[in-house]
Amino acid sequence: MSMTAQISTASGVSHVDAKVKASGDSLGIWAMRVAFIALVVGLPMGLFQAAERSGLFPWMENTAVYFASTTTHGVLLAFVLTTFFAMGFGYHTMAHSINKKAFFGWIGFWISLVGTLIAAVPMLTGAASVLYTFYPPEMAHPAFYVGATLLVVGSWFWVADMLIGFTQWKRENPGKPVPLVMFATAINALMWGWTSLGVASEVLFQLLPVSLGLMETLDPGLARTLFSWTLHAIVYFWLIPAYIVMYTIMPKAAGGRLFSDEMARVSFVMLFIFSVPIGFHHLYLDPMQAAGWKLLHMFGTFMVAIPTFITGFTVIASMEIAGRLRGGKGLFGWIVALDWKNPVVLAAILSLLMLTAGGWGGVINASYSMDVMVHNTQWVTGHFHLIFGGTTVIMYLAGAYWLWPKITGHALYSQALAVWQLWLYAVGMVILTGPWHALGLAGQPRRVSSTPYDQFPEMVASWSTYELLMIIGGSMIVVSGFMFIFNLCKTASSKVVATEAEAKVEYAQAIHPPIRVPHLLNSFTFWNWAMFAYMIISYGYPILQFAFIGTPGVIPWGY
Amino acid sequence: MSSNSIHIDPLEKKWIWAVSAIVLLTWVVQLYYAIADGIHPPSNVEVVDSAKLHLTEEFAEANLGVKQEADGSYTVTMVAARYGFYPPLIEVPVNTPVKLRIASFDVLHGLHVPGSNMATMVVPGYVSEVTTAFTKTGDFPMICNEFCGLGHDYMYSKVRVLAKQ
Amino acid sequence: MKLSLTKSLLASALIFSLGITANAHETKTAAVGPSTNVAWTAEMMRFVAKGDLGNGARLNAEAFCASCHGHAGIAPSPNWPSTAGQRAEYTFKMLKDYKEGKRTGTAHNQLMQLAVMPLSDQDMADLAKYYASFPLPSLPVGVTHDAAKAKDASKMIVRGDGSRFIAPCQSCHGSKGEGAITDTPALAGMPPEYFIKTMQEYRDGIRTNDVFSRMRLIAKELSDAEIEAMAHYYAGMTAK
Repeated sequence: MSMTAQISTASGVSHVDAKVKASGDSLGIWAMRVAFIALVVGLPMGLFQAAERSGLFPWMENTAVYFASTTTHGVLLAFVLTTFFAMGFGYHTMAHSINKKAFFGWIGFWISLVGTLIAAVPMLTGAASVLYTFYPPEMAHPAFYVGATLLVVGSWFWVADMLIGFTQWKRENPGKPVPLVMFATAINALMWGWTSLGVASEVLFQLLPVSLGLMETLDPGLARTLFSWTLHAIVYFWLIPAYIVMYTIMPKAAGGRLFSDEMARVSFVMLFIFSVPIGFHHLYLDPMQAAGWKLLHMFGTFMVAIPTFITGFTVIASMEIAGRLRGGKGLFGWIVALDWKNPVVLAAILSLLMLTAGGWGGVINASYSMDVMVHNTQWVTGHFHLIFGGTTVIMYLAGAYWLWPKITGHALYSQALAVWQLWLYAVGMVILTGPWHALGLAGQPRRVSSTPYDQFPEMVASWSTYELLMIIGGSMIVVSGFMFIFNLCKTASSKVVATEAEAKVEYAQAIHPPIRVPHLLNSFTFWNWAMFAYMIISYGYPILQFAFIGTPGVIPWGY
Repeated sequence: MSSNSIHIDPLEKKWIWAVSAIVLLTWVVQLYYAIADGIHPPSNVEVVDSAKLHLTEEFAEANLGVKQEADGSYTVTMVAARYGFYPPLIEVPVNTPVKLRIASFDVLHGLHVPGSNMATMVVPGYVSEVTTAFTKTGDFPMICNEFCGLGHDYMYSKVRVLAKQ
Repeated sequence: MKLSLTKSLLASALIFSLGITANAHETKTAAVGPSTNVAWTAEMMRFVAKGDLGNGARLNAEAFCASCHGHAGIAPSPNWPSTAGQRAEYTFKMLKDYKEGKRTGTAHNQLMQLAVMPLSDQDMADLAKYYASFPLPSLPVGVTHDAAKAKDASKMIVRGDGSRFIAPCQSCHGSKGEGAITDTPALAGMPPEYFIKTMQEYRDGIRTNDVFSRMRLIAKELSDAEIEAMAHYYAGMTAK
């Protein structure tokens, strides 16, 4: 072993080639532009839906428009915003953390974008009002499935790019820890590859053939099972970029250090392995899977609490370091001392608060025993708006505030506007989703455009206050969305040059930057095999059973 | 320099032990209630031809509704079809085991009687079965809670829970 | 099946005379067995979809369907339904239901039962395909719709009535009254008198071939005024 000083690479390379930077920056900003256009188009649709469902605006009620809106809103925010943000952030990270240029690069971007536009046509014209879960046997126009397929296929090129860059760097730097930011980005890409196989199988072997008339029937039970393979880990595909910002960007933005690089890696590998093979909590009330398998998935689902709590600890501890370095004293003084005017820090604080509330709701949904009380009620919709729209997306906004000056070279147009925007967004999200949870407990079902249960007028009347609050919360979110876009646009067209600190891409340093990390926290070979084995155990028989239980095929229906 | 061990802050280590213990507790609690009280989500793997429900013996129109079994429990046989639950009114006694057997005639449906654990997905091709007991008398809605088409909002029926004679 | 002119004249005379002498008052059909024997499996859907349009056209003329239902599926009288543009699955099911005794009890039903006697399943599919090939029908000559009454129906059509467990008519029958998969019938351009008679037959338990009584349960909740308004709404959907 060489006796020369070993340099920790855990927080990234010190030099980025000009061509690599240009490619990473360009791919990064264009993918994120698509993401945020999807955001700003999708948000007002959500407000429309809340308003229509309340029954307070009879003149706007139109069931066909409502469900076209719900479908489009869901696809734009859950699939387009997220995929393009992950892609853009990933390309930028790969360039700046390990100095690697994407191999496929724009190919994936264009395939995903074309797919999005192809799917947009039937969605916006009411020919694909099957919601963003597109459960059969209701069928959309085939263009919808073609577009969705292309969106996913484009992302697979990104997955390949991340893994190629990761592997290349490792080969060139044997024994050194892959920078945490790239390790997490690559493991997220790998996890997305694994989990998207479920929905890809469903679309390729069932939905596309039936919608094109090549197959006469399908088994909705199999379709839902395949979709559940994707359905849980996809939320981690969305969430991990938010965690990446919390672990690798926020501590530095806050003026502190990352509490533990190794525990961050532990957290990411645990999220990887306990994300895909645990999807049956989405099928708890489904008849086509036996209770034993649902129980097995429950155990794995609850395991994800561990990396979640590790993340909470590590991120908050990192904040505490920053707060104390800024002069905070006593048990809670460091909280006040944090830089609440820094958008990344503020977003992380608000995100963690929403994670705590939303996470507990998730425990009920994950519960083998209790899910039956909340399944497919508005509680579930409230939950995922809080945990995704709140916890996750607010960190995307933070990431954008951090990245735009670095890529455009201009100073952020207005830090004050960003701070106001984040507060408005978070408070709006709480006002939106708090009552939403209550609505679910009060019995309101999911996916309704109105509530005509008029044989039970007291029940319906009891919902109206919550619905009004939701309209208020939703309005706040829409306004804050426009503030966000405005800030980014003005930044791009600004003449004010970014300061050196604003423009330089630097990731957080850990208190103990690891010189070496265990192989298990620096490579994916073991985890791939573990995922393979775990998937065979948890999805093998449940999928195989469809080959012999003899379900009579179900014909396609409209809506 | 060992590369197989990592440095974990002592406080974080305690935290992880505590969280792991909580996770273990959640497993034990759910397992306990599953075994001791039979608390399971509805999971009846049974196939049926949705298109031919009305031609089967169990889901024939004449057979839908409420029946008392020999052991005093009740079996409710229903069909979910756009846009209603049939029959639209079922009457069952309070604090008595009620087994609901329901199948879909067309697309995906879901049902829930709010405030109770009478809830299940209804997937075409499969018979759903859920057993529970209602603990309060009165009229309650059985509401469809999975998107089943443009009339989904209107899909609900009534459950009347009667006092025992 | 080819019929000579003489045979068809004789047959039609027979049928009409039977129609007159048959039970003049409407009777409730006894609930025996399932409301229909037709099940929309993939095989059944495929069978109907493969109906032969050409043979259907021929049957329409030779089996004198046209005499009541019109040459292009537009009924010459408001007492009978127009069949133009009707969903093939629905037409097929009606013909099968008549043949298997699932629609009985009225004079017209008995007439139809006789009419379908010589038809095979393939013939029925052919006829169904033939009628489906037309656009939705305009009203019979001399029949008009009352636009004012039609307006009264729009709430039920578009918003239904949750307090009576009634989904909007259009959620099943389509926003253009075009019907929907599998056998929900098109209603656009239906003569108002026939629509009203049909809803009354559902309401009174005379017509019972709706699986799980879905239409019977709805019709029982509707007032005469509502039925009339809906009749004119649908009648007016194909008005120029």
